Parts: sequence; C-alpha cells; structure tokens
Amino acid sequence: MYIYSEVDQRLVEQRVAQFKDQTQRFLNGSLSDDDFRVLRLQNGLYIQRHAPMLRVAIPYGMLVSEQLRTLAYIARRWDKGYGHFSTRQNIQFNWPVLKDVPEILAKLATVQMHAIQTSGNCIRNTTTDHFAGVASDEIVNPLIWCEIIRQWSMLHPEFAFLPRKFKIAVSGAVKDRAAVGVHDIGLQAVRESKGVGFKIWVGGGLGRTPIVGKLINPFVPWSDLLTYLQAILRVYNLHGRRDNKYKARIKILVKDITPEVFTQQVNQQWDLIKNGPDKVTLEQVQEISNRFSWPQYDCSLSDYDSIKNCKENQKFNRWLRTNVHSHKVQGYASVTVSLKVSGVPPGDITADQMDALADMSEKYGFGELRVSHEQNLILADVEKRNLYLLWQELDLLNLATPNIGLITNIISCPGGDYCSLANAVSIPVAAAIQQRFDDLDFVHEIGELDLNLSGCVNACGHHHIGHIGILGVDKAGEEWYQITIGGRQSGANQKNNSNKDFSSGGAAIGRVIGPSFARDQIPQVISVLIKTYIRLRDSDEERFIDVVDRLGIEPFKSDVYSDPTLTQPIKHKEVIGGQ
Amino acid sequence: MVSNHVRLIKNGRLELDIWRLFDATTQSIPPHDSHWIVKFDTWKQNIDEFQLAKYPIAILISSDSDLSNLPNEFLHDDLLLGIEFIAIDFPNYTDGRGYSLAQLLRNQYGWRGELRAMGDVLIDTIHYLARCGFDSFLVKQGHDPKLALKAFEAFTVHYQRSYLKPELASE
Repeated sequence: MYIYSEVDQRLVEQRVAQFKDQTQRFLNGSLSDDDFRVLRLQNGLYIQRHAPMLRVAIPYGMLVSEQLRTLAYIARRWDKGYGHFSTRQNIQFNWPVLKDVPEILAKLATVQMHAIQTSGNCIRNTTTDHFAGVASDEIVNPLIWCEIIRQWSMLHPEFAFLPRKFKIAVSGAVKDRAAVGVHDIGLQAVRESKGVGFKIWVGGGLGRTPIVGKLINPFVPWSDLLTYLQAILRVYNLHGRRDNKYKARIKILVKDITPEVFTQQVNQQWDLIKNGPDKVTLEQVQEISNRFSWPQYDCSLSDYDSIKNCKENQKFNRWLRTNVHSHKVQGYASVTVSLKVSGVPPGDITADQMDALADMSEKYGFGELRVSHEQNLILADVEKRNLYLLWQELDLLNLATPNIGLITNIISCPGGDYCSLANAVSIPVAAAIQQRFDDLDFVHEIGELDLNLSGCVNACGHHHIGHIGILGVDKAGEEWYQITIGGRQSGANQKNNSNKDFSSGGAAIGRVIGPSFARDQIPQVISVLIKTYIRLRDSDEERFIDVVDRLGIEPFKSDVYSDPTLTQPIKHKEVIGGQ
Repeated sequence: MVSNHVRLIKNGRLELDIWRLFDATTQSIPPHDSHWIVKFDTWKQNIDEFQLAKYPIAILISSDSDLSNLPNEFLHDDLLLGIEFIAIDFPNYTDGRGYSLAQLLRNQYGWRGELRAMGDVLIDTIHYLARCGFDSFLVKQGHDPKLALKAFEAFTVHYQRSYLKPELASE
C-alpha cells in the first residue's frame, strides 16, 4: 500500500477545504447551479434519482483494512449501511445529503482517501489489474506506475476541463486483466532488452461508440511515460470535439484524423516537452516505491500444506477452483470475495461485511485488499494453509459464492433503480438471471463466462466486452434489452492468442444478435444461448467465447429467435445499431 | 464591497480594467487611440498596419484558435513591441482549450509578456489558470474578485513539476 507523504496529505486536505467552500457558496446562493455542477462532479458528486451520489476513488483498486473500516463508518453514518463497488475501482454511496459531503470527504482524508476526479471531464481514477503486485504472471509491478500516474493526473492544471472524461488503465502482466484495449489510454508494461517501458493504446472505449484502442507506440521508455501522456492529453484537449458530447471522447478524434496523424501530432508535442521537468527520474520511482508498505512474505512456506486435506469438501473444492488464484510467492494465494450472491445487487456490500473483511484481511494477510473492476474484493496474500479457515468465515457471511469467472458473477451498473441516466433497470435483471442459474453444478459445467449488464448506452456495466452482454434500451418509454455475444476484455481466446491478438490488447466488442427483448424474457434468452453453447462445444475445455469465435453468432441467433417462448412478444424493431 | 468594475487581477492585486474589445465588423482596425483589444485573426490580417499603430494593442485568442500552424518564432519578432498583452477567451469555464493554448504560448512560442484570462473566469479556476501561465485574470461578474485573489493559495503543494506555482505567478 502506498503511504501518503506530507505533500500527498496536504493536497487532499486542501481539496477538501476547497470543496467545502464551493458547497457553502452553492448553498448560500453565491455559486450558481451551473457553475457548481461541474465543480461538484470533479469531486465525484452526482445528483441522482434519490439523492446525491458520491463516488469515492480507490486508486488502482488498493485498499487497506483501516480504509475499508472507514468506508463502513461512512456507509452507516451518512448512507443506508451499504456501498456499491463500481466497475472502475471506485465505491459509490447512493444516499448522502449534500451538506454532509464536505464532512464525508474530511473523514476520507483521514485515511488517505478522496473523491477527486471520480467524475467530470477530467482524468479519472487510473485502474489496473486486480492482482497487481501479487500475480504470478506479472512482468512489471504496475502499482508503482499507477501511483506515479495518480500523482501526475491529480489536479492537473492543464487537463481539468477536457472535452470528455478520460480513463487510463495499466497492465503489467502477461494476461491483461485491466482491459487496456477499451480505455482512452491503455498501458501495457513490458520488459525488453532496453529496459522497462510501455506499449501505448489510445482511443479504446465503450459507451455509445465501442471501439478497441489503437497501438500508437510499441515502446515508450518508463522515463518518458508522463511526458508522453501529457502530449496525448494536450492534443486531445486542443482538438477533441466539444460541439457534441457523444463525439467528444478521444476515440472519435483518433478515428477522425486517423491514428497515424494523431500519433504524428502527439510526437510533435512530445518533442517539445520530453526532456522537460516532467521526465520521470530513477529517484522519483525509488521514492514512490519506498513509500509502499510491501508485504513481508514468509518465504519458507511450502506450496501444498493443508489444501489437500480439504479436498473432500465439495463446496470448498468448488470455491478453490473459481475464487482462489495463483500468487507470485509460493505458499500464498489470492482470494476473490464474491459480491455476486443471488438476490443482492452486483457490487453491493454492507457495512458489516466491510468490517468483517477488514478484520479478515488482517487475520489472513497483510491488511491489504484489492477492488476488482468485476466488482468483487480480493484478499491479496492469503497463506494457502489458511484457505479452509478463511473459506468457512467467508461462507458464514455469504461472501464465498464460488462463481468467479462464471455466469452468475454478473458485472452490472446500478441501473434505473438508482441512476438517472439509465433507460432500464439492471439489478432485477441480474437477480433473475442468477435465479435461473441457481444450480451450482450446472454453473460450473458451463465454465468460464463473463456476463455484463448495462442499464444504458453509457455502458458502465461494460456490456460490450461481456462474452454475453445485455444493454437496457428505452423504446417509447418501455424497457427493452439488447443482447450481444462475443465481446471480451482481453485476449480471451487462448487457443488463438497469437501475437497479433496481443498487439491489439486482445479486446473485442460483442455483436448484437438481433431485436431486443422484454425484461422477463432475458433469463430464457440466456438459457437458450447456454444450451446452444453446450450443444456446440467440442469439449469441456472450449469456452462459450471460444465457440462464438469459432462459429460466429449465427447458430446462437437462430436458436434464440426460433425459441417458441421468445418469438411471440417481440414486437419492437431494434434501433441501436447506429450507435 | 468591491465595485463591479474592479475585477481584474494583475500582479497579485485588483485593478480597474479599461481595455475594450474592438468590433472588426465595420472597420478593419481600431481608431488610433489606446486600450483596444483586437481578435487574433484581425491582428494577423493587419499585422503591417498594427506595427505602425501609435498605441500598443492587446490580442484576444479565442478558445478554438489553432496555433499549430504558426512558426515557432512567430512571436519573437519586433512586432511584439506593440502588444500590451495577449488574452485567451474562456467562453465557458468548462472549455479547457485555453489552458493548453496558454502552455503553447508560454513554452512553444516563448511569450513572456502579460497573459490574461478572459470570459468565464471563476474563483474556482484561477488556481489552474495561474499554474498554466496566466498572470492576469478578468474575473467574471458574480464571482467576488477578493475571493478569487485568495484562491491562488487554495493549494500550496503540487505534483506537476513543469507547471508554475501560483504564488510565483502572482508575484
């Protein structure tokens, strides 16, 4: 965990003071609604359906126990006793009162947390692999680089008012778990003979115009990272469209002027600044690295210990298979705590669960946790010999659902129940699917499957990159749901994971299978898709996404649209294609 | 109470602003008297005439100006003597192009003279503006210029090394 320096702390406190003043000026009428709107957004505060929504940053997904306890405190004191983890390593509180927000921010600052730039047209919270620092396939530890980017992007004077929001993701491992291909900037750390550097993708993104990013530079040396980012942002800030918010993301600029011209303009700007004061130095990297409290692992642990003794427990065994992940240090594992239990909105967590997990992170690790963009929590450093004990504790709290990577691990936005942007609800749809697939044996038989659900085209549930994606659309005031298949966040198809795939980040945008469906039809649609998959797969090893890759969407489409229970009520012609 | 007219911040103090914007629709250049602000395009089209002008003028750059086609040395010429200040317009405070334009003027084109922020200039944006190289600010109506002055100190520490610290900018 990165420990704040005095400078870090003062900056966050000064931002709290600034926001307190802004809120007071708004409440006493000296700051207009219009002027306040963007200022509050830059501090994570939306006006939502029921109340303001406060989005708190969890920089690159890292949390320590004390911070989680503070989030629990906030949930109890100023909210309704729970919080919601978003798909961007943030936590959202849906019920605070505006006048209390400065106090909430002050409380956050006491544990080195903030809500800075969690919304608005600025550089957002940088995200990374939820196994950063502990993954067994890690090439470069992205945590240090994320912190360097966090500092650089925080309250950046030139890029506070961009044409649109701007999201950066960093991956440091062989397998991209940060979805670098679908971010405004995606960075893949690489280690080559010339040292550590970054592959740089630009212009990926979901939303209305889902596009996979373009590789604009195959190797930017680490020392040039910030100046290169600055050059990209400057070109975007000057030339990104501001006349139409739906065409304002960097992906549209890159597409309009072509990646080649864009790269040329970036290089022109870069030449002016690359040797300036923002060049990263070794001292700076060391200083930041030294501020992390790196876990002190016990290197004498053997790899098996007690796991073998517990294999007879079928429930535990299932959990081991899906929720426990390999660790770079022998004798340790990372554990995903599933926040995807049936009946609870995906990503929701109660204050009591937060407190319990904070305790467990200390008891079974170094007090560190990660938040995943799949809306789960990770206990990063669990000794394998303690897995059985941990599982028992988690199971008691309903946090051991063995569904990570499986169909019921639904990634979803809060949807129309909470969000004023949404066209349709998502939580009840997720619940209905989880109910339909309540047979765990069957869920495990289906195997790896990402199911993503968004309540509107803003795509907060990342539906485009779900192996199955569900999008809520509004048609004449009614809720409809459009289905896509074949999306993926990174090189999902391991069989065909050629170098070419890797060089494009391996992300793919799902394809729409046809006209959309009414809400109560969705579980049946998913059932048909799964039946088709099971009929067509050549073995248990071939995953849903692999079958879609191999055979295309046609067999799925034809089964869904010839299903007698699905054909009847479809009266509505879909219109989304153009977006 | 500060008068509504005294809303220019310059050299860390409040001043009365007496400059006016020239309307180029009826004549190509302003009359031969002082304190005219002319738009960047008007200035570019009439550079020769402005060089002969008796009084210095100010140039207003709109947020959608494209400075990328200008030669790097376009401001290093003698004609700069006739420019009192360069202003960048913020049609809306959420239009952030002016920040990058300021950086280009300061760093790429070497403008060392006064750089003024005009338009939708808020108490809440002064700090960023100062960091990007602005050193005078016409605070918008309805925002107390005295509070704007205090906003230079909103942050006393910063991360981005290549940008100014506002206390220096307001010296």
